[in-house]
Amino acid sequence: MSWKNIRLVFLREVRDQLRDRRTLFMITILPVLLYPMLGLGIVEMMLTFSEQPRVVVILNADDLPASPALLDQSGIGKEWFENGVEETSKLRVLSERTQKAGDEEKSVRRPRRGEKTDEELLTVAHQLAEKIERLHGLRPADEAPANSNAAAQSNGETSSESQTNAIVPSANEIAEAAATEAKLSAAQDEISQQFGTSGFQVLVIIPKGYRAAMEVMQREIQTSSAATTNINAKTAATRVPPVLVVRNSADDKSMVAFGRVQKALHSWEDAVRKFSFEQAGLPKELQHPARLAWIEVAREEQVAASVWSKMFPALLVIMALTGAFYPAIDLGAGEKERGTMETLLISPAKRVELVLGKFATIMLFSTATALLNLLSMGLTGQQMSAVMSDGVANRVSLDFPGLAPLAWLVILLLPLSALFSALCLALATFARSTKEGQYYLTPLLMVVMGLTMFCLSPAVEMTPLYSVIPVVNVALLLKGLLLNSASSGNLVVYAIPVLISSIGYSMLALWWAIELYNSEDVLFREAEKLDIRMWFRQLLRTKDAVPALPEAGFCFILILMLQFVAMTYMKPDLTRGDPGLTMMRLIVIQQLTMIACPAVFMGVLLTTSLRATFRLRMPSMTAMAIGVGLAVVAHPLSVELSQFLVEHQVFPELPESARQVMGLMKTGDKPTWLLLLVFAVTPAICEELAFRGFILSGLARGGRLAIAVGISSMMFGIIHMIPQQAFNAALLGLVLGLLAVYSRSLFPAMAFHFCNNAIATFHAGEGGGIVADGVFFSRDSDGFLRYEAPLLILCAIAGTLMVVYMTKIVIRDQDAKRRGLVPDFRELADGEEVVA
Amino acid sequence: MAPFVSEPRMIRVQGLFKEFDDPRSGIFRALDNVSFEVRPGEIYGLLGPNGAGKTTCLRILSTVLRPTRGLVEVDGINVVRNPEGVRSRIGFMSCNTGIYDRMTAWEMVEYYGRLYGIPEEKLQARITELFNVLQMNDIRDRLGGKMSTGMKQKVSIARTIVHDPPVIIFDEPTSGLDVLVARAVLQAVALLRDQGKCIIFSTHIMREVEKLCNRIGIIHRGKILAEGTLPELADKYQQPDVEELFFDLIQRREEEVRNSGENSEA
Repeated sequence: MSWKNIRLVFLREVRDQLRDRRTLFMITILPVLLYPMLGLGIVEMMLTFSEQPRVVVILNADDLPASPALLDQSGIGKEWFENGVEETSKLRVLSERTQKAGDEEKSVRRPRRGEKTDEELLTVAHQLAEKIERLHGLRPADEAPANSNAAAQSNGETSSESQTNAIVPSANEIAEAAATEAKLSAAQDEISQQFGTSGFQVLVIIPKGYRAAMEVMQREIQTSSAATTNINAKTAATRVPPVLVVRNSADDKSMVAFGRVQKALHSWEDAVRKFSFEQAGLPKELQHPARLAWIEVAREEQVAASVWSKMFPALLVIMALTGAFYPAIDLGAGEKERGTMETLLISPAKRVELVLGKFATIMLFSTATALLNLLSMGLTGQQMSAVMSDGVANRVSLDFPGLAPLAWLVILLLPLSALFSALCLALATFARSTKEGQYYLTPLLMVVMGLTMFCLSPAVEMTPLYSVIPVVNVALLLKGLLLNSASSGNLVVYAIPVLISSIGYSMLALWWAIELYNSEDVLFREAEKLDIRMWFRQLLRTKDAVPALPEAGFCFILILMLQFVAMTYMKPDLTRGDPGLTMMRLIVIQQLTMIACPAVFMGVLLTTSLRATFRLRMPSMTAMAIGVGLAVVAHPLSVELSQFLVEHQVFPELPESARQVMGLMKTGDKPTWLLLLVFAVTPAICEELAFRGFILSGLARGGRLAIAVGISSMMFGIIHMIPQQAFNAALLGLVLGLLAVYSRSLFPAMAFHFCNNAIATFHAGEGGGIVADGVFFSRDSDGFLRYEAPLLILCAIAGTLMVVYMTKIVIRDQDAKRRGLVPDFRELADGEEVVA
Repeated sequence: MAPFVSEPRMIRVQGLFKEFDDPRSGIFRALDNVSFEVRPGEIYGLLGPNGAGKTTCLRILSTVLRPTRGLVEVDGINVVRNPEGVRSRIGFMSCNTGIYDRMTAWEMVEYYGRLYGIPEEKLQARITELFNVLQMNDIRDRLGGKMSTGMKQKVSIARTIVHDPPVIIFDEPTSGLDVLVARAVLQAVALLRDQGKCIIFSTHIMREVEKLCNRIGIIHRGKILAEGTLPELADKYQQPDVEELFFDLIQRREEEVRNSGENSEA
């Protein structure tokens, strides 16, 4: 490898990219201009948005108590707002009182075109108020004096049923009620529509006689003695009719105005309460009996940090990818499209040198884009917070994060950029044209965006698992480091796995890119369309006796996906019929359709010999005996091992669904044959066909039996989802795999599987009626059959002997095969029954 | 050990097979037992219709494709064992070989010169010489994207021979070019032959072969059907000209393929 050539390629590519105005624009001009302009735009929009006053109509404002006064000359008194004058200016309050005052001063606000005049607004408001009050039973149709009537019925301001709820409905009235309901809904529609076009955002309706009722209440509180206050005050309070505040939650403007009005009304209500308490001679402290105090400990830089911790990692990831995206397409697919790829390949520069030169170029642009974007955004944020420091965002100062987090940012950016650059280059090399390159790279962008969104969620924190997941690890570590520099000591522990795994992934991606550059299929792919039908036909035509490795992998993924689908969508309806039967039916269906079916289907389609693929050979009697015997001795060991792990909290307790299944075995109201059919026969056949059949045959094809058995057992574990069961299943999978490989038949494995499950079913039930003798067997507090040490030791010895025996046979056979004494079963299959 | 011959063989292809995976029929045999030799100062014309295997053969010679079977040597160097060594001894040009849009003519040639590891002073002198010979001084600083097809072809030729290779491979260099540009390219090829280069030239245009080539090989469906100098071929097959010979041979090969079912169902 010559550094001179790498440098040569690198310099050329960089120069080429810098001469490309589009790339230059995407990478430098855009971030430098975008964020400041975006920032300015947002500030402008926020300013204009908040300057628009919202209209609040207060009807019958004259009936408000004089003290404390809610309204002053201009509208709602500024003492009721937290921010005083500023917030008052954002609400335009319209009431009959201001209307009169306006008339006198002849300074009516001149409405703009299309806007309603104050009179019109008030008229609409009155109409609406009437309808609303009628709807809510606060104003009967015959216009009786509102005072007594409303007071009697208004324990809830929105309860429309209050009129009828006292009467027991007769059959006749039910039909009437339905009609009423329809009428009600029509009335509600009408109100909603009229409110929407009314021109005001919040309507406050002060009921008639409000002031009088309030005064009566105050007086009563004042005169009553402390002992009787409770009762009197209660009756007095219910006599005060409610103030209706009407809003439309679906309308943002209405909600903004409502929020302000609500705050003001709450503080006004506080004042009323305070006044009442004073009148009654009660201590002021009673107003806030719970005495809550809020204390803020975040300092300004921490607030800034929390903003940055959300923005920077996401932006870093997305921009590092975007920065790699376009240069990669140009350097990979573009080179092919221009026809310069071939000339480059004919030059004496090695493929590795070409790839490294291109990779370095893409990485340069990727890091530069990410850093420029962050810098531009950071500076914009700082500027924005300075501009708005006395405005909306006065609590948030967006100062730049400290030096240490910034240093981490750069350190973590490098492997991330490397990963993206190598991945993009590989994908772009695979493409034949720049257009195709975009198709290949866009899914990558989407996946990365999804991962980033996931990391942004506040609930997601760094764990050992996340520290080795690409992209997620960098984003989470960075988020943590930016969020809290004080506790970053704990996080730095994760820096090592994060860096090592990230560098590892980028090396892998780079290796892939180099591989692609060495593959003539990729470099000289003919410009024919990818024909799915052709590909499929070829797949079906070029089949072998046993499945290929990728086919086995695909079978596993298919089963796994089906399991996920089943978990999500196939929720049994246990409320109807016999829940036990429902669940058992579901288990059988799941086994047949989601485990056996994919394997058998793929076997028929993709292999020529079902017999070889599914190991459908008559086993020796020894093998069958070992299958059964091993299941018997493995059961106590597996029970005690999982109990041990649960007791030591390595695994969580079984989830509810698994317990339900266990409960099925226990209740004993199902016939034994049914239990065995569901829990032993079905899994033994279905799971063995899939895992020891199709998948293991595919994996074992390469001849590395140990690895094949190991991987197939891991897959078998993963499919069981629940951690405990997964662990158990993976261990059993090892034994099952060994059985299948040793006997060259699926039947011993099926026998083992059946026996194992059958014993487990009995064990979960009564424990097979075994008496706890305290030496071999005992029972725990739940009556659960447990196995004692002597039995376990015996089982372990017997099990080990059988496993050692099988392993020896397998090794002997392997040796013989290597020396060519025994044909391997692919060749065997040819002589046997072959499915065309 | 290669047997002693009076003239050194620059290109030696023996029993060359090349197979591709084909989605339709499993394996597609692009080259089927191809053998030929080319000496310095000679232009070998590979004549065949589209899809005959010309490009595949030349790509194997230039090491970008690996042979499935067979021996391929350039200047005594095996293309499989030492591809870098072969690449430094060949120049390759085809109608598809493009040039970079955002590089000037000079930079293009300079870049490839550097990739070939030519010392800087020697390189500058060589480029100056090439630009003079090919009359490219007026497009020296023009960007590739702004060049006409003729200019681009000139730059391509300059790039191909900047390292003064003993072997030059032209893969249909004139296809898609107008008459004037094609003529210029062919003149350049003749010039290079006169300098003693070993040239292999593929085309489907008979006239070019008749005009330029010392020896030709007619290739169809991966097989060399006839080989020799023009008079030899005319003598052997009793055909009036190359064109008649060509059609006759191709027809025979087609019949052969149809009868044996070979190559369509490998």
